[in-house]
Amino acid sequence: MSRPSPSPIYTLRGAGGPLNTLHFSCQGEGTPLLFSGSGKGAIHIWNLNSRRAEKIIEAHSGNSVIWVSTLQSADALISQGRDMQVCWWDVSEGRSELVESVRTGSVGYCQCSLVEMSPANYLLAYAGEQTEEIKIIELPSKTAVCTLVPEEKLGMVMCLKLWQPDSGSGPLLLAGYENGSVLLWDVTQRSKLSQVKAHPEPVMCLTFDTTSLRGVSGSSEKTLSSWRLDGQSNLQLQDCVTLVNPGVSQLCIRMDRKLLASAGWDHRIRVFGWKKLRPLAVLQYHTDMVLSVAFSDHRDPRQRVLAAGSKDQRISLWSVYNEGTDTG
Amino acid sequence: MESLTTNTDVRLTVTRCFRTLKSSTDSSDIITALRTLHSYLDEGPDSTATSAERAEFRRAHYSSALQLLVSNIQADWLHQLTAAQRAELWDGLFLAGPPEQALLVLMDAIGELRWVVLGKFLQRGRLAELLWSYCLEAAPSDSPQLRETLLGRISALPDITANKLQLNNRALFRPQQYYPLLATEMLTALEHTCQALRAGTDCNLTFVAQTLGKVCIQGHGGLVLAVMAPRLSACTRSDMVWQRVCWKLLENVPQRWMESVLTGLVQAVSGPDALGRIIGNLVLTNKKAQFVITHKLLLLQYKYETRVLRIILGYLAADRDRRPLLIQVLRSVSQAWANSSAVKHTPLEQQLYVSKALLLSVSLLKDSEIQELRSELLQCMLGGMQTHLDSNVVRIRHMGMVIGEYLSSRMDINGTKLKFEYDQDEETRELLSLLAPGACDEPEAEPTAETAESAQNASQTTSGAQALKTDPDSDLDSDDELTPYDMSGDQEISKASPPRYLRDCLEILISSEDPVRVELSLKAAESLVRKNSFAAREISVQMSKVLLHMDDKYNINGFLYLRQATMVALTVTDCIPVAHYLTTEFYSLNYSLRQRLDILEVLALAAQELSKPVTEKKAASISSATTAESTPYPGDNPVHWQQVVEKRIQSKTKRLTKKVNQPVTKATPNRYAPVNICLIHDTFLLAAQMGCALLDFVWAVRYHADQMVRRGVLFAVCSVFLSMPSQNLLVDISDQLFETRSWLADVAEGDPDADCRSLAVQSLVLLDKSLKKQLQDPQAPTVET
Repeated sequence: MSRPSPSPIYTLRGAGGPLNTLHFSCQGEGTPLLFSGSGKGAIHIWNLNSRRAEKIIEAHSGNSVIWVSTLQSADALISQGRDMQVCWWDVSEGRSELVESVRTGSVGYCQCSLVEMSPANYLLAYAGEQTEEIKIIELPSKTAVCTLVPEEKLGMVMCLKLWQPDSGSGPLLLAGYENGSVLLWDVTQRSKLSQVKAHPEPVMCLTFDTTSLRGVSGSSEKTLSSWRLDGQSNLQLQDCVTLVNPGVSQLCIRMDRKLLASAGWDHRIRVFGWKKLRPLAVLQYHTDMVLSVAFSDHRDPRQRVLAAGSKDQRISLWSVYNEGTDTG
Repeated sequence: MESLTTNTDVRLTVTRCFRTLKSSTDSSDIITALRTLHSYLDEGPDSTATSAERAEFRRAHYSSALQLLVSNIQADWLHQLTAAQRAELWDGLFLAGPPEQALLVLMDAIGELRWVVLGKFLQRGRLAELLWSYCLEAAPSDSPQLRETLLGRISALPDITANKLQLNNRALFRPQQYYPLLATEMLTALEHTCQALRAGTDCNLTFVAQTLGKVCIQGHGGLVLAVMAPRLSACTRSDMVWQRVCWKLLENVPQRWMESVLTGLVQAVSGPDALGRIIGNLVLTNKKAQFVITHKLLLLQYKYETRVLRIILGYLAADRDRRPLLIQVLRSVSQAWANSSAVKHTPLEQQLYVSKALLLSVSLLKDSEIQELRSELLQCMLGGMQTHLDSNVVRIRHMGMVIGEYLSSRMDINGTKLKFEYDQDEETRELLSLLAPGACDEPEAEPTAETAESAQNASQTTSGAQALKTDPDSDLDSDDELTPYDMSGDQEISKASPPRYLRDCLEILISSEDPVRVELSLKAAESLVRKNSFAAREISVQMSKVLLHMDDKYNINGFLYLRQATMVALTVTDCIPVAHYLTTEFYSLNYSLRQRLDILEVLALAAQELSKPVTEKKAASISSATTAESTPYPGDNPVHWQQVVEKRIQSKTKRLTKKVNQPVTKATPNRYAPVNICLIHDTFLLAAQMGCALLDFVWAVRYHADQMVRRGVLFAVCSVFLSMPSQNLLVDISDQLFETRSWLADVAEGDPDADCRSLAVQSLVLLDKSLKKQLQDPQAPTVET
């Protein structure tokens, strides 16, 4: 008899809107924090010790916040909203000041992707004004690096993942498009390296494990599609996982590369073993679509928790497969 | 003349020795006498006796010498001998002489004698010596009676020793050890035979064959053949002499024991080829063997594993001379399979067995042979398929489909094939797996070569495993270390939402044609009734009516339970009108038995629920309400409801006797009282009437050809006996009782269906119990009120 499905260890309520995005910042010495972006334009900074919102930033003039992230521990916050702005906030020492903002011009829901190139120097990829256009700029200088447009019609850019490979070559970018294709771009060469048709429907989300060079993408249908990058930088489709109900909003791999979590439109969070994509748990708590999932980046693996934000305005936190505390 | 004087000399010497042994008390005299006797058995070069003297002693005096020793076992001189002397002189006499005489004396005397000597006799291989001595004799020199006795002793040694020694019996004499020993001794005798044949000496295997036959008929064939078959199979692989010896051995088995030897052998050999090597073309020469192999094992018995079927049919198919027998077998098997009476009246297990035989034998035929048999196979297929598909039993239908598909594919009827849609289950998969070739090949060769090979294999696999481990892509830290949680709750989410108001729910149940909505409404109904009792009271009777007449049109999961739960909830919520309605309907016309039973069940469950104390009741309804909700919020009510209820009970309970430390039983009002009056009818009278009616009804179909019907009948009878008060049983159906009993006994003994048999037994037990109770204590009230 398998163990009963676990319950959340606690929940965070009061966000006042659907939770589009979550981001942990638990590595530093200070209080572990969770950032969330709501559909009503609020960015909540949750203190995970007191389990209360420490601060609420009203941003993007009430438009939906679709992405949040931090730079250099938790001092600088970066957020993206449906008002076509990417904003840079100084949140150190209790402040919440807008430092910079960039206009993206994109009307879609595509979340940005950020990668640190050298200390205090970042690359930011975002969907541009044209349908298939991806723009990459350098931060904090805001200088444009390149614009990537595929030759064929692929529809809107749906999701992005920018990373710096260990081999030392230039940064690479994975992008999912409306027609179900996943493309690999070389940013320095400004050229497409590879392309696969991962789904018949739009790619809703993707995530990539830069160590094993394997990735997985989700769509509005019932399958998760996994693919890998071979030695020649070619994307190759691997096995699929079939879900019970269609639609995945977001995917996230835990830092130790053991678990993959998916945010389902069917109100459920699914946990898989990352190696073989074996289903491990179905977490049921939410009463509406789950929009975002994130694993915390605690230094101590036993403290790492899973957070999920849902359209039902709640964030649930779960402790699954943490050695020693593995009781659900 | 010379031999005559030799005989007299020997007799004189032996008589002198006997006299010494009987009367002397001087141990040196005794020892000399024993030595003298020994000298007649000693065959070494320094033997003092001539060969003529030795032969005479063996022929005429050995048995009596041994009997003398046994009868003097209590004599003083035996105890004066040292252990070494005793072993040498006393035991030695038994072990050195003709083994058959020694065995007979030993077995006769086993009670008094030390078992050690018999043990030594067996362990020293004297049995092989005995068997071999019989192989050498061209014609029997002794009387048939002696042979018969000897045969009996050898084959039943464990029984005899167990009877005589009782608790002192030794492990060596138990069947588990003795029969394998006997098997190796027989193999040794056969080995000697092979050597003798190569050297040009004739041998006679009759006695060994008789021993084998007798052991098998006594039921020890499994133990003996488990040792013999692998060895024979290995020896006959390349050695023609061994093959001839085996065939001769089987030919010499007496007819009356042939069957048990063959059935033991087909179960013990590893494959059809081995069987072919051991028994050769015995089926062609021996009528009995032919009957057993081609008829009895296939059509009359059905207890054997599929492996045995494979071996028998493979054996028939392997040789050109035996092939006509395979075709003959196929004819008879296909007739048996297609026989409609067999489909109806033989046990399912046997039909499965015959089906397997049919599939296997067709799979062994060549296409040309199938063409020859085409018309017969077609007839079998068409007739057999019809009877199988007409059957009410799913398993039989499946068998028909599998076989029909296979036959049609083999016969190639204008390129068309039958294709059925059936759910694969274990049985159909097993049938289909029979068609995969080569599942029963022998695991090979000489034992020595085999072990060497397997060792090599093992080393290869381990090195292979190591190679795998060094593979960088392997999943050393795979997902397997993470044990999955229970994921049974991961069900599909339906688009439609359940009704939120009771009136909507009722509306949907009455008029909706959408299966999803009906299902959701039915699932939501109970909690809606319980949550809003005020609304429920307004429509309680109407809803009960709808539910009572509702059919499971859409095959909803758990339909009966959901409907019942809702009706119970309605009765509990608005008990007087609903109970009144239900009890009235129970007596009105045009209801099915199922509906009437539903009414009774609902009333009973509702009564149970109402009779529970009010507070507990509340807890139950809370729990059912929460489980009925699709996604409860565990975070929202952190304190478990049971604790809440517990607290509430605690706070409301007035503890009158604080000092007494015992749980206070509180008299809580139950809600049963107001309805009590509606529900009390003289129910047992009713039950008796219904029981009688049911028995009358099923009487006409009790010998129905369909086993499902018979099962139903027996179930009905069982439930009548279970529920009818024993008093009424005797009074109301006394005239039928005797007949019913004999019918049940008949079914319990002879029905082909196992379920029917067990149901009949159960009914009999119930009936007897009930009658006994009534007869012992006729005045006892049958129903407690």
